[in-house]
Amino acid sequence: MASSIDPKLVEELAAIVGVEGIVSRASELKVYECDGWTVEKSAPDILLLPRSVEQVSRVLRALDRKGIAFVPRGAGTGLSGGALPLNAPVMICTSRMNKILTIDYANRRVEVESGAVNLHVTNAVKAKGFFYAPDPSSQMACTIGGNIAENSGGPHTLKYGVTTNHVLGVELVLPDGEVVELGGAVEERCGYDLVGAVVGSEGTYGVVTRATLRLMREPEGHRTFLATFPDVESATRAVSRIIASGIVPGAIEMMDKLILRAVDDAFHVGFDQAAGAVLIIELDGMEVGFAECSSRVIEMARAAGAKDVKLARDEAERQLLWKARKRAFGAVGRLAPNYCTQDGVVPRTRLPDILRVISQVSERYQLSIGNVFHAGDGNLHPIILYDEREAGQVERALGAGRDILKACVEMGGSLTGEHGIGAEKIGEMPLMFSPDDLAAMMELRHVFDPKERANPGKIIPRPGACVEVAAPRRQVPI
Amino acid sequence: MALLGVDRVREAASLERRAAAFVVEPRNADEIAELIRMCEAEGIALAALGAMRSLTQIRRAPVALGISLRRMNRIIAHEPDDLTVIAEAGISVGALNAELAKSRQRLPVDPCQPDVTTVGALVAAAHAGPLRFSEGTARDLLIGIDFVGHGGRVIHGGGRVVKNVAGYDLMKVMGGSFGTLGIITTAIFKVRPIPAHYAVALVPHKRADDAFECAARLLEALPLSHLEVVSPGFAARFGAAGQFAVIAGFSGNPEEIGYQAKKSLELASGRGEIFNERQAEAHYAALRDLDFAAGPLSARFAVMPAELPATLDAIAGDYCAHAGNGVAEVALRAAQSLDSAQQVVAEWRERAHRTRGHLRLLAASEPIRGGLEFFHAPSDGALKLMRRLKQAFDPAGIFNANCFVGGL
Ligand SMILES: Cc1cc2nc3c(=O)[nH]c(=O)nc-3n(C[C@H](O)[C@H](O)[C@H](O)COP(=O)(O)OP(=O)(O)OC[C@H]3O[C@@H](n4cnc5c(N)ncnc54)[C@H](O)[C@@H]3O)c2cc1C
Repeated sequence: MASSIDPKLVEELAAIVGVEGIVSRASELKVYECDGWTVEKSAPDILLLPRSVEQVSRVLRALDRKGIAFVPRGAGTGLSGGALPLNAPVMICTSRMNKILTIDYANRRVEVESGAVNLHVTNAVKAKGFFYAPDPSSQMACTIGGNIAENSGGPHTLKYGVTTNHVLGVELVLPDGEVVELGGAVEERCGYDLVGAVVGSEGTYGVVTRATLRLMREPEGHRTFLATFPDVESATRAVSRIIASGIVPGAIEMMDKLILRAVDDAFHVGFDQAAGAVLIIELDGMEVGFAECSSRVIEMARAAGAKDVKLARDEAERQLLWKARKRAFGAVGRLAPNYCTQDGVVPRTRLPDILRVISQVSERYQLSIGNVFHAGDGNLHPIILYDEREAGQVERALGAGRDILKACVEMGGSLTGEHGIGAEKIGEMPLMFSPDDLAAMMELRHVFDPKERANPGKIIPRPGACVEVAAPRRQVPI
Repeated sequence: MALLGVDRVREAASLERRAAAFVVEPRNADEIAELIRMCEAEGIALAALGAMRSLTQIRRAPVALGISLRRMNRIIAHEPDDLTVIAEAGISVGALNAELAKSRQRLPVDPCQPDVTTVGALVAAAHAGPLRFSEGTARDLLIGIDFVGHGGRVIHGGGRVVKNVAGYDLMKVMGGSFGTLGIITTAIFKVRPIPAHYAVALVPHKRADDAFECAARLLEALPLSHLEVVSPGFAARFGAAGQFAVIAGFSGNPEEIGYQAKKSLELASGRGEIFNERQAEAHYAALRDLDFAAGPLSARFAVMPAELPATLDAIAGDYCAHAGNGVAEVALRAAQSLDSAQQVVAEWRERAHRTRGHLRLLAASEPIRGGLEFFHAPSDGALKLMRRLKQAFDPAGIFNANCFVGGL
């Protein structure tokens, strides 16, 4: 694709980031035409890979002068089209700003550049018995900047909270190039909680370049159970009972039949092939407390209908369970040429109802849908399998996703628990928010980005344009 | 003010008078919306009134119209199995928790005097107590919010599920905004089970350094519910008059309690004492209710946790330090002239800055209050964004104006 950007500006940008920091050949840009939401594609005109906050600032100043929009990108593992360029010719990727800057064990803080990979943070501190709590399943690849933009969660957010609970301060480059320090390293804030506003803003406030995060102490021990159920109803019953009992597990994750078969084919975990659903239930805390809690968990799972509750015997077995869970998306990828996943949330007690709806949707659209999700939080991840080469399947997959989200909202839930609205769900925002709510959000956005140059076309639908926006703009070739 | 009927607009009574000239008591968000539209048109300043513990401190002059939320004090829904609750902003934290306790649940945010602290104030003034160490603050538990903003728009953010990233996080924007961006009418929280058992370890020390070292050892070794060091002036309330008292709370099943009790005594070299059940609760309540909302002069430090001992070293004043959080409230008992108060505050701020932190005044007595800066100013860049936010959410400048950071 010929760049639509003035060659003089390209030269100026190249001078800022260096020749190795700029990509403008169409063939190389193809990699950046989508994130993990692969239904829509659109490559940027140029990609910049700055190395420092100064470079980011100078780049944004140059773009601001010419009125050119940009899209920030971390690792591109987002699942809602957050890093999809929509009328944003320039993509700014943080992958070369990936240093862990300081580790402060005494105060349980770590300061990182925004391109640092999530798992690298935990790896850097685990020898001393610490970890960074938010653990998205994509943590081997996704960046802290991406996590901040999406307010990402993970299996262990049930107990430890999501990204916003662990970010104390950020350095943000505003769309006009100004660098601002928000929050800091201490707990209390002075003035408005702008850090809280930036977390979850999906790259629409500018580029986050640095962050101060909390570290947590590794619990003394874990007990990880695999509970096998005849059907998803009994598994959800167990979730409700455990949560209501007053026990706060580290994680409760569910996989249904379709998923557990795919996962077992890939990782040979030894799941019962006849099972309708399994739960991975993890307790963490002090060794002395486990005996009592474990027996209660086992009892509750059995009472809810579990055929079998097994304890991971050692760390290797525990890790195998988590590998199976965290790589479930990949495993399912083997079942069909394409899949997309939704991220709706329902109040925990409505899990049986929404799972029923999902199976009806699957029948209605004649598409297989698997479920692997953060059951303890009521956060679903229905994985809709389709084949983009078959006429009409993309539309059916999108329709199925929309129906599921609509049902989530009708049950008092949300469109997204952790993947973000992005480009994907922008058309569904009016299901949850009134025009006034959306107007207030737009006012907030304008505080940071008055000209809407940072990641345009995301999160907030333009008034009157909701229906059109919901339709896919640019389908993959069928 | 015809709309609410004359009987609902009254002159401010006693304490209210420091915050507002007149007070209205609307019954719902629509009435508040009507009031806001009217005040915007007439340029009348207003402020939401909770227990007015912060408001009467930070306001230099009363606003024309106080909005009391005492008629908006219902629990709209509590779903025990979902561990969520929706409450109107006028209910007190104490009343809310009394209801939740029927299901053995609680909102684990523990401001001083929960029975007078309203949920709206809890959120708006970011109150928190000892449990912040293990449970976080209202910021971490607030999952949805309704507020009435400019133009009388009723805005809602978040929702009633525990995990939700749809749209911008308006809960964070409103939390800690001290009523300067709109009137909060409803709050949705995730709640937690009340722990089966709770105990307190109390370890007195002659020297502050030893107390903080002891606290650090406990912090390293145990998953505590809370961890405080209180200075001698307060320690008498815990039976440790004249000493620095380490007060650590822990919860769990009997095995966990037993283990932590034993371990904490070991770590305290046998000097400590363990309190269970009712006595533990009494110590906890005394700790929570240490009151820093009245003069002569009190403040909250926020510094790096490991630097608390240095920050508080030989400080003029009595303190309660939340050792795991790097937060400490400090109070001076003796009346101050404006000069001396300014000097003390400057010295406190200097201590906070030395250790990468900041200081916010919580209270000062009447004659000196007007001469003191309550809020620490953020960086220039942040302040510029804050000004824009205030302008965007309150274009008429009527919401509790001129008392927040940077005069916002
Ligand atoms: C297999 C798989 C499993 C996953 N599991 C989970 C899970 O368990 N929980 C979960 O929450 N998510 C999960 N995700 C989604 C995804 O990994 C997260 O959203 C992640 O935070 C994205 O990080 P990233 O670095 O890849 O960001 P990208 O995809 O590159 O970008 C995401 C958004 O962040 C913005 N952005 C990126 N960096 C910056 C920055 N420095 N400043 C400003 N904006 C920025 C982008 O503009 C975009 O809007 C999963 C994804 C995959 C593929």
